[in-house]
Amino acid sequence: MRTENIGKKVALSGILISLAMIFSYIESLLPLSISIPGVKLGVANIVIVIAMYTVGNKIAFTVNVMRVIAVGLLFSGAFGILYSMSGCVLSFVIMAILKRSDKFSIVGVSMAGGVLHNIGQLLMAAFLVSSTAVFAYLPVLLLSGIATGLAIGFLSREVVRRGKFDFK
Amino acid sequence: MKITKADIGLFIIFFIMSLISFVYVYNMGKSTGEQTVIVSHDGEVVGKYPISIDRQINVDKNGHTNKINIKDGNVQMTFSTCQNQDCIRQGKIHDGSKSIICLPNKIVVEVKSEESQFDSVAK
Repeated sequence: MRTENIGKKVALSGILISLAMIFSYIESLLPLSISIPGVKLGVANIVIVIAMYTVGNKIAFTVNVMRVIAVGLLFSGAFGILYSMSGCVLSFVIMAILKRSDKFSIVGVSMAGGVLHNIGQLLMAAFLVSSTAVFAYLPVLLLSGIATGLAIGFLSREVVRRGKFDFK
Repeated sequence: MKITKADIGLFIIFFIMSLISFVYVYNMGKSTGEQTVIVSHDGEVVGKYPISIDRQINVDKNGHTNKINIKDGNVQMTFSTCQNQDCIRQGKIHDGSKSIICLPNKIVVEVKSEESQFDSVAK
């Protein structure tokens, strides 16, 4: 019984990681991700948000971290991993806290995730170049974080509501 | 799954944060006096150049090369050995509201007015 559950979890994590990787790849093809460092739609976050609300924080976090490492190795190198890991971990921690407080809906949690994802990347960028000049991008990053976070939130809500999830 | 009051509150907080930062960054850019282009690597200033004089700057640090071009009061990164080339795509800047950042090569190009520099020294 127990081993069966572990197998299920491993398989599910694998599917979610590959799904998140595909989203990351699609995102890298979109011209929207250019010009300002850190401004990404964060499409892959949709997998993380849905995973959080269907299979729990543990698997969602594993998927998040593994996705960043795999995508980083494939497309941007070790440097890119460091950069996006800070955004992913920060946004995940805040999302988990907000979700636990039970005061926020999936849309609010996702919005916070979008904003914190960008703030995390910006903080890492400021740390890496040892300069506060990167904060000139803060307003754009905040607004884009709100917009993408909301969009992902509404999408995730529909997926969670309509989908049949019996993974637990 | 309904939108809660906390959601709306959080949205308003984020929105006000972005407005404040917009105003702040806009004011940073609205500067008077002679503008100076400051090029730094890993937090250390490697060169200061007046924006009014056209020139080509080569920065060679840790085996990476970045070329910066100052022309007609605009600054642009024209060449970089980095992988993602984000710094090239950031285009031209001309005031303190924007900066060019090459994360992989740790190069930051800023425009600051001399006046604001004196202010920060005086403080």
